[in-house]
Amino acid sequence: MTGTGPVLYARSRALPQTLAALAATTVLAVWAAHSLDSYLDPERRVPVVALAPLVAATAIGTSLHSASEELDRTAVRPWWRRRLTHLLCLTALAAALLPLAVLSGARTFGAPAMVRNVLGCVGLTAGAAVVLGARLSWLPVFGYVSAMYMGVSGLRGTSLPAWAWLLEPGAGGGAWATAAVLFTVGGGAYAVKGARGAP
Amino acid sequence: MTTLLGRTPSTAARAAPLRPEFRSGFAPLAGAAVLLTLAVALAVPAESWQGGWAETREHTHAAAVLLGIPLALAAGCRQGGRERRRGTGDLLETAVRGALPRFLASAVPVALWVAVGHLVAAGCALLATWYCATGDSPYVVVPLADSLLLGCAALGGQVVGRAVSWRLAAPVLATAGYAVLGFLSYDHDNAWSALSPLIGTSAGRVPVWWQPWVSVAWVGGLAAAAVLALTARRRALALVPLVCATAAAVLLVQSGGPTRPVPVAGRQVCDTSTTPQVCVNARYGKLLPQITGALSGLTGRLEGVDNLPVRFEDRAGRPRADEAELPMVVPLGWSVVRGRLTEPEQYAWEAGTALVGRAGCDGLDPAVARTDAAVEHYLAPSPQEKHFDELAAQGSPADRAELRAGQRARARLLGMAQDERRAWLSEYFATAGDCDPSGVPAL
Repeated sequence: MTGTGPVLYARSRALPQTLAALAATTVLAVWAAHSLDSYLDPERRVPVVALAPLVAATAIGTSLHSASEELDRTAVRPWWRRRLTHLLCLTALAAALLPLAVLSGARTFGAPAMVRNVLGCVGLTAGAAVVLGARLSWLPVFGYVSAMYMGVSGLRGTSLPAWAWLLEPGAGGGAWATAAVLFTVGGGAYAVKGARGAP
Repeated sequence: MTTLLGRTPSTAARAAPLRPEFRSGFAPLAGAAVLLTLAVALAVPAESWQGGWAETREHTHAAAVLLGIPLALAAGCRQGGRERRRGTGDLLETAVRGALPRFLASAVPVALWVAVGHLVAAGCALLATWYCATGDSPYVVVPLADSLLLGCAALGGQVVGRAVSWRLAAPVLATAGYAVLGFLSYDHDNAWSALSPLIGTSAGRVPVWWQPWVSVAWVGGLAAAAVLALTARRRALALVPLVCATAAAVLLVQSGGPTRPVPVAGRQVCDTSTTPQVCVNARYGKLLPQITGALSGLTGRLEGVDNLPVRFEDRAGRPRADEAELPMVVPLGWSVVRGRLTEPEQYAWEAGTALVGRAGCDGLDPAVARTDAAVEHYLAPSPQEKHFDELAAQGSPADRAELRAGQRARARLLGMAQDERRAWLSEYFATAGDCDPSGVPAL
């Protein structure tokens, strides 16, 4: 790849817009966490810890779209390295930026929970991009976050099941394991197969 | 002779282009997404609504508004950008049909599928409650109005999708929908909260009959105005639904989201054959045999005892002077799950403590507390009593001494002859609720 290759790749995947969307999401998350007075009660950070990774994951998911999917597949060089680098860089950036909103108090819905949710949501989105196409990759994660946000509040007890990893308050091992598996499987599937070509 | 111009296409031929829009593509997927999302959001906390019609209405309504509307907006928005993504916008411009029919041909299937997805989810919730309903009757107006709301939201989302060319338009619109609905619904004292389609009612109240439909007129008017402003040949037509939406909004804000009490929530069904009588709120009338059964040991031991409350009552507010409060049946999911009492022994113990009624006394005399505990043990022992006794037995010498004294008090009450015990209990219940220890008979 020549020097202009990465630049062209970044432009074709709308990476500047995605970076702007991640930055805007971070600013909104910091503002929302502040205006919800989350320092009084960490539980108030739940909307931020659930919705900010969702928005970041949808931004990352839509950046996986290629306008020339069939043409890309005829390339001689393997794509998986570029896909993996693309996904890892954006995920790392989101995982570094979004915890800025929840820095006060790490034990309940703090920075570890935010990073975990970024990983899980991005994994779900990447997997959905393989199955449904990048432009619709937000749909499953959107449905999941919506259902969990409302449903889990009715669960009794303090220990949530593994599938409710999104709203586990602390650094529970089960929730982390689920998010890590989602990221590995979804990200791996995207790196290997690429996003499904869809109009 | 029939010319081609004179021949009108049959109904089937006219509907032919719409059929693929309904059967394939994104519309059924959007309906399935709404159904799945609502189904999971309702199924996870099913214990907290299943069996109560009002609780079912509240949960399905909240899920439809807070989750369904953002999803419908996003689904419509995605569908709205379809021609742009496919690059078929110019081709469609050459069609004979006007912009409005072309818009509706792609928008209505998504709106209908989204509404059907919600209707199926709400129908499943009603069925799930029906087989273990504890009383009251189903509320169907709110789910029907919610389906219309979701359809309108999908239409509105489609307008945004047509107008905004941005990959992230759909998820961002949905997230904005979350934020707006959350803001409007967060504080019910705010005048603007009446504009939220989320009707804040309690289980004992329902919205007045016109409220859901005016809410639909408000949201639907906005959506229709947006559709007409985008696609109508005469855009001024958009003012008509806009005026309707404004009138509905004014009505909602001025009336402040009106609700009325449910008549059934103010009534009780009673079993008068026991002492004290057992009354259950009519909303949970079918629980009466189970509750009477759970309290049968307690009421049996109180037969012939005087100075007791006349009945266990289950109305809103504090009990009257001659009544005791029935242990809480609601919120569902704790004492009652899917129309069954989960822990009858615990429930009976709670009923027993309601009869003693000295919970509000500060610095209760230890001897009186011991007597109260012995009476509670006699009427209906707590399922945790053995556990606490074991803890006390392993505790400090003071704990062990208190345990021994408590056990002696229990044994004395149990060892009395039946008539003697009735007389003692009658004397004891004459002082129930008194914080003054002097009148309480000792054990």
